[in-house]
Amino acid sequence: MVRKVDVDIEKRLILVVDDEYINREIMREILKDTYDIIFAENGKEAIDKIYEYKDTLSLVLLDLIMPVMKGFEVLKHFNESKKLKRKIPFIVITSDHKSEVESLDLGAVDFIPKPFPEANVISARIKRTIELFEDRETIKSTERDALTKLYAPEYFYRYATNLDKNLSIDMDALIIDIHHFHILNIRFGTEVGDEVLSSFSKKIKETIHKYNGIVSRRGADVFMAYLPHTDEYKEILSEIENIDVEEVKGRITVKIGVYPNVDKSIDIRRRYDRAKIACDTLRNKVVTSSVAYFNKDLYDKELFEEQLIDDFEKALEEKQFKVYFQPKFNVQGDKPVISSAEALLRWIHPTLGFISPGIFIPVFEKNGLIQRMDHYVWDETAKKIKEIKDKYGLSFPISVNVSRVNMFDNDLVNDFESIVKENGIKNEELLLEITESSYTENSEQIIDTVNDLRNHGFKIEMDDFGSGYSSLNMISILPIDVLKIDMALVRNAFSAEGNTRILELIMDIKKSLNVIAVAEGVETLEQVEALKKIGCDVIQGYYFSRPLNEKDFEEFLKKELNL
Amino acid sequence: MLTIQNLKALGVDTEKGLTTCMNNESFYLRLVDRAIKDSSFENLKEALDNKDYERAFEIAHSLKGVLGNLSLTPLYNIVFELTEILRKRTDMDYSNYINNLLEKRDKIKALTL
Repeated sequence: MVRKVDVDIEKRLILVVDDEYINREIMREILKDTYDIIFAENGKEAIDKIYEYKDTLSLVLLDLIMPVMKGFEVLKHFNESKKLKRKIPFIVITSDHKSEVESLDLGAVDFIPKPFPEANVISARIKRTIELFEDRETIKSTERDALTKLYAPEYFYRYATNLDKNLSIDMDALIIDIHHFHILNIRFGTEVGDEVLSSFSKKIKETIHKYNGIVSRRGADVFMAYLPHTDEYKEILSEIENIDVEEVKGRITVKIGVYPNVDKSIDIRRRYDRAKIACDTLRNKVVTSSVAYFNKDLYDKELFEEQLIDDFEKALEEKQFKVYFQPKFNVQGDKPVISSAEALLRWIHPTLGFISPGIFIPVFEKNGLIQRMDHYVWDETAKKIKEIKDKYGLSFPISVNVSRVNMFDNDLVNDFESIVKENGIKNEELLLEITESSYTENSEQIIDTVNDLRNHGFKIEMDDFGSGYSSLNMISILPIDVLKIDMALVRNAFSAEGNTRILELIMDIKKSLNVIAVAEGVETLEQVEALKKIGCDVIQGYYFSRPLNEKDFEEFLKKELNL
Repeated sequence: MLTIQNLKALGVDTEKGLTTCMNNESFYLRLVDRAIKDSSFENLKEALDNKDYERAFEIAHSLKGVLGNLSLTPLYNIVFELTEILRKRTDMDYSNYINNLLEKRDKIKALTL
């Protein structure tokens, strides 16, 4: 059974400002069936209320002559400066024709005379004003998505917030996602893709409306819904996935992330982050349409991530982040020779102990802290290179990772230049590792940045090569110096049923590009020999050494090079 | 008793008043009851006695709005005139106006007792 809710989910909110109780009561009686109403008794109160409800208010009905602060002052307050991001229409209530003109000058859009005209006249004028304004706003900020006619996210958030003010029942926040939609697009063309989206959004809208909820399109193939709490997601799922586009019938897989019984004290956007987190847990395991809930585990994970973010500053300050170095060996000579190293970060947390970069890096990537973390590693690494140079007279290049976000930093080249200069090392000694997926996501801009870096004499290593989706065409134009083969590829090639053919193919590519190939994650002598045979130049992995702390690394280096 | 009929007999335009109140009779009567017992009338008298025309205008203006909305015509007409004179802060003897107003008010108020 669908639970019925009395409050119309799209009831507009009106602020009535009048110092007289009786006038306010009459307005309430006239408007209460069609609108949600809040009141203020004077101008000051009105201004406070307008700020409080700025996101959801559809109209202000303003009496002009009141004690404490007159309606004029309120109009002036909002007219003179751009205090509100969006315009809220004001209708002025007055018995005085002279004030009518003046208030129109001050930005009021209409007036209602006192004594009040017939109730239906008042209703009609209010309705018209609201419609007029919303139409205008639609043009400005696209209230509805052009393709699907669903609410755009900003409007949706406003309505959802409005709902919370009227409804004291439990609500669910949903993220609804078409699994692998981009593949449908590639396979059947964008025309079919658009048709799927329209049909899909219609289905979502119909279904969610039945449950008294509202719907928005969040992004390409991702939708949001806000509805009174229900346990019927199986039914909802089967209704939604059943779309009427001939080409894809029965092929659509839908993922729903539910944040049930939302905590209304947290920001509406964050509630959808939680629904998204739930939805993301389905990412790699969806075969049939499924629902995932934001549960205790995910909540704990969120808390944990928040703690990591909170602790970041202190960790930097107290040097809890340690730079480790994993040696790389050139294997093309008779004997393997240490030729370089990769700087890797470790976090020794005072209470949580050792935290794997696999855990904290994705967290910091999400909120931009990764930029500062990267800079820290670059700096420490440059110092190390300089130290080795000073102590042993040795030019020993070390590679550092450059996160995707940093690739969009306009100051990146300058930053590297100054790090290198300050530490008195050469540009080609600080090797830069950029992941393959960075290249594919926004290739043009990345390629520009990489070209810029190379023109400045920096050497670029493409990290995790083979894990992304580079096309052969793209690879041929990539500005790189080193191909670093993805660890998973190496492991697979040497697993029980694996074969090394893909690695051989990569060696062909590296030869034609005339670059150096590095393999990481190499663990056995057998692997080293096989890689050497097919032409791999450099090897990194536990076979030679695990990542070492500063002191151990120096010892290792001394021993290897007889320093 | 405060009824539509009794109000009508005292010259109140109950039809118009009811229209404004969505034809909700008990709602209308409740508001009339409240308006008629409001201290604004006494406050207006006091302001006029003190020749505080600023305040008198404000009170009269507010009162005019309420009386108009409820179509308490006999009272509204007096306050309407008063407001116009007070708008210019005219210094004169208002006792006729205010006494007349209070007298008419008391007649309606008597219905509520």
